[in-house]
Amino acid sequence: MLKNSMLRLHRNFIISACLALCAFIFLYAYMGTPKPLIKWKWMDIVGEGGTAMMAGLWLLLMLSSRPRGLLTRLFAFGLAAIMLGSWADCLDEFFVIPKEDIWAHLLESMLVFTGMLIVTAGMYYWREEQFALNEHLQKRERLFRDHRAFDRVTQLSNADYLRLQIKLELDNHPGLPCALVLLDIDQFHLINRQYGQHEGDKVLLAVSHMLLLNLHNKDVLCRYAGDRFALVLHDRSLEEAQALAVHLCHMVRQMRYCAQEQTLEISMRHACTMADDVPDTLLSRLSRALESSAHASVEPPLPAGAL
Amino acid sequence: MRFHQAADTCLPAEYHAAQILSYARDRELDDDLILRGSDLIAEHITQGLCRISPQQYLQLLGNAMQALRSADSSFMLGQQMLPGHFGSVSHALLQAQNLRQALDILCTHATRLCPLLKPRYSAGQDYSILYWMDSYGAPSLRPAIVEMHMTAVVAMCRWLSGRRLPWRFCFNRSAARHTEQHEVHLGGELRFNCHLDAMLIASEYLDMPWPRGNALAANVALQQARQEALLMDETPSLLNAVYDYLLAHIRCSPSLEQLAAAFGVSPASMKRYLARQGTHFQAELDQVRTHVALYLFQSRQYDNEAVAHHLGFHDANNFRRSFKRWTGVTPSLLKEKLADDFPGLSLHALG
Repeated sequence: MLKNSMLRLHRNFIISACLALCAFIFLYAYMGTPKPLIKWKWMDIVGEGGTAMMAGLWLLLMLSSRPRGLLTRLFAFGLAAIMLGSWADCLDEFFVIPKEDIWAHLLESMLVFTGMLIVTAGMYYWREEQFALNEHLQKRERLFRDHRAFDRVTQLSNADYLRLQIKLELDNHPGLPCALVLLDIDQFHLINRQYGQHEGDKVLLAVSHMLLLNLHNKDVLCRYAGDRFALVLHDRSLEEAQALAVHLCHMVRQMRYCAQEQTLEISMRHACTMADDVPDTLLSRLSRALESSAHASVEPPLPAGAL
Repeated sequence: MRFHQAADTCLPAEYHAAQILSYARDRELDDDLILRGSDLIAEHITQGLCRISPQQYLQLLGNAMQALRSADSSFMLGQQMLPGHFGSVSHALLQAQNLRQALDILCTHATRLCPLLKPRYSAGQDYSILYWMDSYGAPSLRPAIVEMHMTAVVAMCRWLSGRRLPWRFCFNRSAARHTEQHEVHLGGELRFNCHLDAMLIASEYLDMPWPRGNALAANVALQQARQEALLMDETPSLLNAVYDYLLAHIRCSPSLEQLAAAFGVSPASMKRYLARQGTHFQAELDQVRTHVALYLFQSRQYDNEAVAHHLGFHDANNFRRSFKRWTGVTPSLLKEKLADDFPGLSLHALG
């Protein structure tokens, strides 16, 4: 999707790189003399030209997915240097440059090496960045990563990831207790009706932040579906899970969410169980427990301050 | 009999198309992605300057599903669909006194409220059933459209009645991958691999008064809605009209020629029209017969012999073979399956 692409941010850099590619052609054509067709070494041309093309492709892929910053700059300059070096190498196959011209030699051998040095520096910073991001993602994922499993609104993992987590938890730690909690926002549909789905999404995001702030690093929070969140609590008993769920509901109730200049009080319901069955059965059992508490009574309207 | 087809521009653009567009905009999608291949202009839709055809509506919906790439899109679109901003019909829904009246309004004014799927509703003794029929035939989008329409009704009833109603759901499809979405947006009572896309509810909920209900206001709005329907020259879609005709004439084994004559077109044209919606006469006839047979089994407790007689078959064996061809199972197996799926549902409930 073009809108999400970051390429626009790096327009100037991409244009300069393209200009440099063209400049190299002119430089070689001007300074050297063309080789006759029979002297062309096709293997070299394909190998070196291909390397340049691949480096260029990597550059575009990298730029299309990253915002500006030190790390992006390092990668960009490094990959661009590798691309230009290989390009010079490739042009060398078409033009004869006099032996005493040292610049051509420098371009060919040093540019690629310099590029690799810069990319290596970039790799180092990338590792640092990844550590920082891992810390940020800690309560949203555990043990493995699947970028397709992230929900767009809350940036939490989705139900597929949740099922896998439960299964992993059961397979890897059969002896340890593992609790499962579902949390559901009361009257969320009224917020959607009253303020629109856009505001509803913001409420979901705010609630997910509040929940994350109150969790251990080893707990995993997922967005089950709609306004329902799920928690996988590693090595926790049912009582502990219950206490945590009550605490979370309390913290969410303490929130003062501002929707279009009105303060909303948000409350949640919860249901807990031990993870002792296949994920699907567990989750539908929990969902039913949540719903039976909602079915029981006529739903109260949103708290007075809200409407 | 009058009818319209999928390519006729009969839907006001500011109704459903505008809802899709605004949802996509909230999700930061380009208008172009949604409008691709529909020959529509965003301003015309939002300002209500044009009418669109059901085909274009389906195109927008398909584009949106593809661009959003999210399991909950159909449900989120459904949540805001009803009562909607469709003028007097929406007002009438808002003032509905109870579930019975709301469903009544929904079914009567389906062309404006939910043009893609026609809800049909029948009240049984213990259970009432609302089942959804294709108005234009869009097999690839069908699951999403069904989810959307069911969510629309569930969300509207929950809002207007002030409580979650204990619906049960049957889907004419294999089990969905994202049942969590169904669970949260619809409810836990889900059955897949059924022969209908239907929602069931205990009949006691039909007449419970709704807090916003206002008989007078609802009647005024309904009168207005009827006049508007006349003014807008509303006609049923071809498939809905055919279903109605076949249902009314099912006892005299209707033929394509009779159907075409009743609709004032030649049999060849009728054949062509039906083919355009991806169906043919026999398929439509078999569908109506299946529904009637199910109805008779369930609500009148007819046996095979009686149903065969009712539908004009020579004998029960003949009927049983045909029924197996329509549904893939024999009548007795289907009855068992229904009893398994809905333990609380007594034999005279489905209607």
